[in-house]
Amino acid sequence: MILEFIERLSNLSYPLRPPGALPEDDFIDRCIRCRKCAEICPYDSIIMAHGHRGLKMGTPFIYPQKIPCYLCEDFPCIEVCPTDALQDVQDQRDVAMGLAVIDESLCLPFNGIICRACYERCPIYKEAITLKDQLYPVVQKEHCVGCGICEQVCPTNPKAITVVSAHK
Amino acid sequence: MQKLEHILYRHLNRIRRTMQWLALLFIVFVPILNVWGFHEIIGTFYSLTIGSLNIVDPSLMLQTILLSEQVKFGLLLAGIIPLIMALFFGKTFCSWVCPFNLLAEYTAKLRVKIFRNQTRSVNINPKPQVYWFILGGIFLLIGVLGTPLISYFSFPGLISAQITDTILFATVGIEWSLIIAVLLIEFFYKPRFWCKYLCPVGAVLAIPRFKNSLSVQYESKRCSVQCSADKSESLCNTACPFELNPRKTDIYPYCFNCGACVYVCQNNGGHALKFTFHPEKPIHSNHKSLKQEELYKNEPSAQTTTNLQEV
Repeated sequence: MILEFIERLSNLSYPLRPPGALPEDDFIDRCIRCRKCAEICPYDSIIMAHGHRGLKMGTPFIYPQKIPCYLCEDFPCIEVCPTDALQDVQDQRDVAMGLAVIDESLCLPFNGIICRACYERCPIYKEAITLKDQLYPVVQKEHCVGCGICEQVCPTNPKAITVVSAHK
Repeated sequence: MQKLEHILYRHLNRIRRTMQWLALLFIVFVPILNVWGFHEIIGTFYSLTIGSLNIVDPSLMLQTILLSEQVKFGLLLAGIIPLIMALFFGKTFCSWVCPFNLLAEYTAKLRVKIFRNQTRSVNINPKPQVYWFILGGIFLLIGVLGTPLISYFSFPGLISAQITDTILFATVGIEWSLIIAVLLIEFFYKPRFWCKYLCPVGAVLAIPRFKNSLSVQYESKRCSVQCSADKSESLCNTACPFELNPRKTDIYPYCFNCGACVYVCQNNGGHALKFTFHPEKPIHSNHKSLKQEELYKNEPSAQTTTNLQEV
């Protein structure tokens, strides 16, 4: 029963982890909650989980609606991680944090209003988000890294494009 | 050299308290400097990076190795640095740096002030096996549950991480309740039980020990008569925060070299207790009457009255 309880506590949510993060379970095992990634992040994108995330409290995650990951060239967060919970990433395109998902009932172009916010701001420009018929944004799964910039710039409320963790 | 030692002993408690507060200031200023854009020093007491030097709490290093079943060279190196320090200085980190110890010391002080007639258990040094059994149990539990328990129960790290969170994100974490719960138990029920028995950080730091590790050395023939060498209720016994008897050899691995016993002994006429890197078996001479007056002829007159509040 205790095991079940802990299991439940530790699986409350799958937050978006910083670049290079191991799969969720391995990440939880490795991460020692040292806060170095949050301290070094130049955009203050990385924030810390609180008690409402159960036993995941103190682990780093990104809340893209507020500040997304801007995919630094040299990934300082990965560099400072002492336990390799964040593994080396060669290139921006190799990051696999998450995947953007479009809710077509909320997305403006699908409702007859022209909007290219996510398409224009996507760092994997013209590859991760493409335009179908020059109008409708489509996420290309194999190219999207899950940085969350599209979620932040999306003008609708609630957001029509959201990023889910790659480890969900 | 002798003179320096004398000055050190005279101000031992004050120097230590200053160090503790400086350590606390340090962990407050690291995130503040980070916010200002200075990134040469980053981290908490879980893990600290100073320039290119990487340090990791060795208990967390062991936990990571156990849980990930992988040994990474960088991590091993970062965790071994504190272990080497501990090899020479013992658990000095706990008594001189750890912020939880600072809180626990003030809690114990408050307890003495409020419950004046507290009974103090007779100082019998607990068996080292108890200590290692608890540490082994913690690691066994981590292995069985697959949960990084030490991340929640490494109090120096937890406190510094919470301070960092407060400065970076202006939040107050629920983790404080753990610390407050332990402090409340210490206040009402059992003073200093956490540091003495349970803390995994201190326990891992207690593992490396060899014959030249910093130790408290007892020499019975210099033990002052006024302080009653034979009784269990002597100054050094009463001063020890862990209720250890420093006149026995077996204070390790429990003793964390805070020097409270050395301080009271050195400053109250006796010079029987001292810090040394070359500990011998406690020197129990049978000639206890060995002309005490002659021994202390050249030294400041023994003060019989002490203010334990100050200790």
